[in-house]
Order: sequence, then C-alpha cells, then structure tokens
Amino acid sequence: MEDKKYTVDIKNLSVRYETSDGIVEAVNGVDLKIERGKTLGLVGETGAGKTTTALSILRLIPNPPGKITGGVIELQGKNVFDYSEEEMESIRGDQVSMIFQDPMTSLNPVMTVGDQIAEEIQLHNKKMDKKQALEKAKEMLEMVGIPGNRAGEYPHQFSGGMKQRVVIAMALVCNPDLLIADEPTTALDVTIQAQVLDLMQKLKEQYNTSMLMITHDLGIVAEVCDEVSIMYAGRVVEHGTLEDIFEHTSHPYTEGLFNSLPDIEHREEELKPIPGLMPDPTNLPEGCPFHPRCSYCTELCKTRRPVETRLSDTHTVACLAYEEGTGVSLGGKLHE
Amino acid sequence: MSEPILEVKNLKKYFNTSGGVLHAVDDVSFTLEKGKILGVVGESGCGKSTTGRAILRLHEPTSGEVIFEGRDITKISNAEMRKLRSDMQIIFQDPFASLNPRKTVSELIGEPLRLHKIYKSKAERQEKVLELMEVVGLAERLMSSYPHELDGGRRQRIGIARALALKPKFIVCDEPVSALDVSIQAQILNLLKKLQREMGLTYMFITHDLSVVNYFSDDIMVMYLGKVVEYASSEELFRAPTHPYTKALLSAIPVPRLGAKKERILLKGEITSPIDPKPGCRFAPRCAYAKDICFSQSPELQDIGNGHKVACHFCKEFAGQ
Amino acid sequence: MAKTTTVQKKRSMASEIWRRLRRDKLAMLGLAILVILALMAIFADVIADYDTKVITQNISNRLQEPSLEHWCGTDEFGRDIFARLVHGSRVSLVVGLVSVTISLVLGGTLGSIAGYYGGKVDNVIMRIMDIFLAVPSILLAMTIVAALGTSLFNVMLAIGISGIPGYARIIRASVMSIKDQEFVEASRAIGAKSPTTIFREILPNCLAPIIVQATLSVASAILSTASLSFIGLGVQPPDPEWGAMLSGGRNYLRDALHLTLFPGLAIVITILALNLLGDGLRDALDPRLKQ
Repeated sequence: MEDKKYTVDIKNLSVRYETSDGIVEAVNGVDLKIERGKTLGLVGETGAGKTTTALSILRLIPNPPGKITGGVIELQGKNVFDYSEEEMESIRGDQVSMIFQDPMTSLNPVMTVGDQIAEEIQLHNKKMDKKQALEKAKEMLEMVGIPGNRAGEYPHQFSGGMKQRVVIAMALVCNPDLLIADEPTTALDVTIQAQVLDLMQKLKEQYNTSMLMITHDLGIVAEVCDEVSIMYAGRVVEHGTLEDIFEHTSHPYTEGLFNSLPDIEHREEELKPIPGLMPDPTNLPEGCPFHPRCSYCTELCKTRRPVETRLSDTHTVACLAYEEGTGVSLGGKLHE
Repeated sequence: MSEPILEVKNLKKYFNTSGGVLHAVDDVSFTLEKGKILGVVGESGCGKSTTGRAILRLHEPTSGEVIFEGRDITKISNAEMRKLRSDMQIIFQDPFASLNPRKTVSELIGEPLRLHKIYKSKAERQEKVLELMEVVGLAERLMSSYPHELDGGRRQRIGIARALALKPKFIVCDEPVSALDVSIQAQILNLLKKLQREMGLTYMFITHDLSVVNYFSDDIMVMYLGKVVEYASSEELFRAPTHPYTKALLSAIPVPRLGAKKERILLKGEITSPIDPKPGCRFAPRCAYAKDICFSQSPELQDIGNGHKVACHFCKEFAGQ
Repeated sequence: MAKTTTVQKKRSMASEIWRRLRRDKLAMLGLAILVILALMAIFADVIADYDTKVITQNISNRLQEPSLEHWCGTDEFGRDIFARLVHGSRVSLVVGLVSVTISLVLGGTLGSIAGYYGGKVDNVIMRIMDIFLAVPSILLAMTIVAALGTSLFNVMLAIGISGIPGYARIIRASVMSIKDQEFVEASRAIGAKSPTTIFREILPNCLAPIIVQATLSVASAILSTASLSFIGLGVQPPDPEWGAMLSGGRNYLRDALHLTLFPGLAIVITILALNLLGDGLRDALDPRLKQ
C-alpha cells in the first residue's frame, strides 16, 4: 500500500470559512488519495464540502473568509502549502487543472476560443511563439471534436456542449497530472452529457491523467470512476471501490442516497428520501454529523463521533455501527 | 376511460426573434384524462416549458385550441382567464427565481387567496395559510421568514403551497425538482405524488430527467425541437422505445448500478434552435437512420398500436426491434 | 447558503423596517438632521421675525462677517443670513420635496408602464420622453411657468415635470430587468392583474435606483428654483430662498465668502441627510440584507 505513487494525497484537510453568520466548518479532516491514471468520484449534496476540497488542492480558497486550518495536500509527493504563490501559479493549469460546472461563465466572452487556448499554452510554455501556440490550440480543438477552423470564433457562437469541450481542451492543453472536474456535465443535456463524458473518458486514458470527479450523480460515478468517496457535512463518510460502494453499501447516508433515486428500470417503487435537511454548517451537530437524519440513530450516535473503520483493504466507513463495542446496529440491513 | 380534463389541439407558439421566427411549439396535440399524470420529456430548447406556459396562457398561443373542461380557453377574455387560474396552476422550476424576495412565506402563500378574495377576514386567510403550510410540510415558525433564508427544498414547498391554495384541478409542474439535491428531490417527488393521490389532481409533469418521469407519470410525451416525436404509456415507452431520438435519450442516462452499462447510442451534433425550420424531420440531421425522405417531408405522429404514437417515417420498421 | 431559521416573532412590516432602520447609525443621523430642518422651517417665525430680520434692509450692517449677533453674517443689504436661511428653508424644502414627488409619481408611472408592456406603448412613451430630454430642463420649466403664471406651486410643478424623463428612464430600465423574472410570471399564474403585478411585485424590487435618483434630484430641484427665481419666474425678492441666496452671493465671492458658503452648506447638509436616510431605507427595505 505505502509504496504506491499517488498523484494527489490529501491528509486530514480542514477548511473553515469565517463569515458574519459564524464559522462554517466546510471541510473537517478529509483524506483522499488518487493513484496515477485513476478516477476518484467525490459524491455529496450541496454544502458537503466537495468544491472546497477541490479548490484547496489548487490553493484557490478565497481568503478571507476561507482558511485552511489543518492538513497536508501532496501533489506528486510535495506539499502544496510549502509552495510560494508564484510557484503555485505555474502549477495551476500545468500540473493540476480544473473544469468548472458552468461552461458559460468559464470562458472569456470577448476573446476567440483559439486565442484563449493559445494564451494558456504560452503561459506555461514560454518558448512557444503565438503562431505555434495557435497551431497547437487548433490541434487541441480537433482532439475534443471541434473543427480547427472554428478557433477564430467567440464563445457565444458555440453551444453549451461545445463550450464545455473547449473548456476541456483548455484544461488538458498542458497535459496535467491531475484533472479536477467539478460537476462538468450538470449544466448540459443528457445526450450532450453522454458525449462529453465519453470524450473525457477517452482523453483521460490517452493521457493517463488522474481525475477527481465531483458530482452528485451516482449514475455518472458508476460509469467513469474507479473509486468513490461519499462526503457529508465536510467529512468522508464512506470510501471504497465502485464495487464496495454500489454492492456493499455500508453507511446509512450512502444507502439513503441510493434510495432517493428513482430507479429507471423498476417503476412504482416508492422513493425513500432521507428525512430532514443538511445540517447548518455554522452549527454542526455533536457526535455523528448524520445522526439527526439517520433512521438507525442511537443515543451514542448523538454524542460520540465515529472514526474511520476499515472494512477491507479498499473500503472504509465512518459509522459507529462498525466500531467494536458500541452496540449500534443497522438491523442487519447493510453490510455490517 | 374517464373524461378528458384537458385537450390540446394543434397548439403552436412562435416567437419573433432577430434571426427569424422561432417555432418553439409546433403543432402539439394531446389529451389528458382527469387524475392522470402526463410526463413531458425533452432537452433544453425542445419547447416543453413553452408548451406548459402556452396551455396556461402565460404565453399567448399563436394558434391552436386548449380545451379545459369542455371550454376553449384560448378564446376567453383576460378577466375570465384570471378566474380560471384557480383551476389551472403551475409549479416553477427555480424556487429561487419564482418567489418574490421581498415577501415573507405567509405573504407568498396568502397571495393567491387575497387576489381571488376567497376569505373575507385576514384571520381566516391566515388560518388557511397555516393549513397549507402544514399540508406541504412547512413548520409554522417559518411564517415570517423570507425565501432567501430557506433552502431549496423548503422554497419549493412554498411554490407548491401557492399552487395548491386555490384548490386547482390541473397543475403544470415545470421541472419542479431539477434545482434540488438528490435527497430533497425525493422528498418533493413523494409530496407531489401524495398530493396528487389525495386531491385527485391532474399533472402535466415537465422534466428532462427520464428516471424521474418514469417513476412519476402514467403517460409520457417526448418532444424534440417543438414537435412531439413519441407518445406512449410509461411502461410502453420504456419497454419499447421506437423513435431513434427516444432510444438515444434513454441510452444516455447514466444508471447508478454496476454492470448496468448498456450499449450507448451517442448522438452526433447538438440541438439547434427551430428558427424558420425547413420541411423534413427535425431530428434528421442527428439521426443515424436518416434517409432522403427525412430531409424533405415532416413525419406525422402515427399510432403503432396500444395508443403508442411515433413521428417517424420508419417507425413501423423500428417498432419490431 | 442554506441556513436554518430561528424562531421569529410576527411583526408588522412597518415596525420591522423601523427596527432595521434604527440599527443604521448613519441613517438615523440623516433622519435627525431632516427633523431639525423641518422643525426650523415650521417654527421659523419663532426663531427670527420675518419683517424685521428677513426682509428689512439695513445698509449699515452690510456684508458683516459671522458674529454672535449674526451667526452667519449679513448679506449685501445688511439682512441676517441665518434668519433668511431659516425662512428660506420653507420654500426650498417644500420645492425640493414636492417637485421630486411630482416627477417620481408621474415619471414612475410612465416608466413602469413603458417597461412592463414594452413594444408600441414603450416606444410612444419613451419617444415623448426623449423629446422632453432634448429640451434643456430649465428651458422647459421656464416655458411651463411662463404659460401657467408665476406662483410657487407652478414652479414646483414645472420643476417636477422637467424631472419626469429622468425617472421614467431609470424606472423603465429596472422594471424591464425585473419583469422577466419568474416570480412575476408566478404572480400572473395565480391570477394577478397587471397593476397588482407592477406595484406589488416589480416596483418593490426597483427601490434601490429610485431612492438614489430621488435623493439626488432634491438638490437639483433647489438649484433649478434658484435659476427660475433669477429670471423672475420663481420666488421674488425680497423673499428668501436658498438657491437665490447662493446665486445672489456669487458677486461677493472674493470679499464675503459667507454669502455663498452658508446657503451652500444648507443645501449640502440637506442633500447629505437625504442621502444617508435614503441609503438606510434602501437597506432596511431589502429583507435580503437582514442580519
């Protein structure tokens, strides 16, 4: 286990936002590792801390109000918190790049897409002149399935799916070690989403890039990810391979997520939603953060914070039911 | 077969844009029986929301008939239409944008009651507001909260309470859960279904999410660029999708199960907008089976049995597959 | 950010707004200044006698520097500037507020109709407004006063009318940006009539630009009165009025600064107070800014 080379290795990351409403504990001790060429799915609902975790890798947490209060993020074995701001700038887009949810807002509306990609190339490859960079930009566009002769057009002349392709081309232009995709297809239609996911999958294999796929859609996870981390209230509550999560679901929250999804193949099954709401991030509950919504909750869950329990080499879960001598039971329903 | 509550005949809604005439809804017809749920599915720009709004005359239809309980409502006066609004309601997609940010929860829910002067005294109205809040699962203490203080799920519950306030018979649900988180989405879907059962409501459920619509509807209508391409009962549609577009749409949904990977039909190209459309099938440019006739003649919606209707020149051939 | 709401007591809208406004120290300062100004205008006769102090000329006291006897000095005819300012506030404040109200109501109505209905209605209204805008507002006011006759009310009406296009344009623009939002459609969906939609749904969301425009135009209204007075169409000498005092003093700018300084200060303080109160009101009326 220990000899493996990780593209990114996050240990015990904590991030908080100090706002006028109080202190928001956005990320509380998160561990994530991604091996070279693998894809990790980061799943959770609004406010679970997925995007904050991703932005921390790039050190792009707005400060103030954001503050990284603890932990280590290693990129290719080096702690990003040791880099200067200049060094960080050259890492962004080069070693790590990010695709945002909304392709409409991540492109500059007054620059042609070719120029935007070329600028990105020149930023990280000072030797290249403008002409070469534009040539390379066209190549990148061709690679994501856009005719190179459209390089002279402006973003508004492209449709949503095309724009997201341009964004992907920009993200991959420097052949990054890690690609962070923050809900890359949420703003797109299903048939376009299928095209974009297909494209990302191909490019990832071609370049052997590691990917952090942030999503709320377990369907996408099943299709593109190798491993999954389920986040709730700033913590990873369950982590494992696809098989661990989908076939041996262990955390009550993960179970709840699956039950909330209408099953396209079996009609008329009553949905079993998770009751209640995400906890107020300025006032997280004591004990297990999920206990107010958990149907298996016991008195102990209200006071004792669960620690990560290892179920197998690949599968970990943070729930008291899996800890020795807690007496908490999930009624035999889950993979105890 | 119970009586139809809504009949839509040859509904058209065109918009004049700088580029030409946008055929947002082009000749849509369907019948909806009382107490049923019709799912309307399609991707952005297919005209599904415009259809819903044209039926409620929130957008005045360009032509066509909308017969609600035996009366063509495209011909009645504005004042009569306002009265009729208590029977026909809408739940909007975005619970952020559809609530006036300057009003409190009780003002928002009480508004339809006030406008239609249903209760004489303020106290009676207030009581009804509390009752509605209970029906949709909003705690009483939220009465004087403003929408921005609430999460998406609760805001959507306000939208539902507003729609229910006037005891409607028919509700257009325009993507009511697409802006919500998965766990909240399931709560709202269950609520909508429960209300439908208890109050005998008829829904037109507009969504882009086929798994939601399958869970929810009796019949499904698939739209593409302003046209209905397929219409069938939910079971039939999922069992035997026939139109090439419906097939591609179904295959594109990521299924949250391991080994569920089906053969995926990847469509080429993207949706364009139906501005001054040429004759011919609107799906033809993206269709893998398109032949010459598809580019010259618009296919009519034809019944291939069991009330399953498909608008494709080759639907008979596809039906067997 | 989703935030669970704490239990709130039911309060009426007005008291809720007052509670929020009270917490804004600057707005309260503005309100206090306005109250003092209003009291001075109401009790002007108690503070200084009109006949003896305000209009009686006394050449021997001409152009005196501020002193204990004359707090703001005296003008070129030996009249006490403080007393004239106090009495002048009656005219200036009333002209400012009434003319702004006239432009706000008429301009607001025209602007919201134009913005809400759009199309031909919008075109007709806005082209008429353009014609108004093409004529310098002071010329327009002069024409109106000349046609209707010289009186204080006609002056206010004239200044009010010449301010209409400005309001119409601002309100039309904000109405247009609000009217396509979904909550406006939602209000139509529950059967609201157009006026209800405009007044209850759209206009409350356009308050910010309206308040800014209104507070700023009080100043220009006071100055326009001065110009009208100057050409003999406004307030007639020897009656005091801030704008007229300001423009009358500019011949003595080198030797007796206080002739312009104090009327100028009076206008500045009024506008400042209105702005402070206006900003505070804007925030207090917006529930999204509630702490």
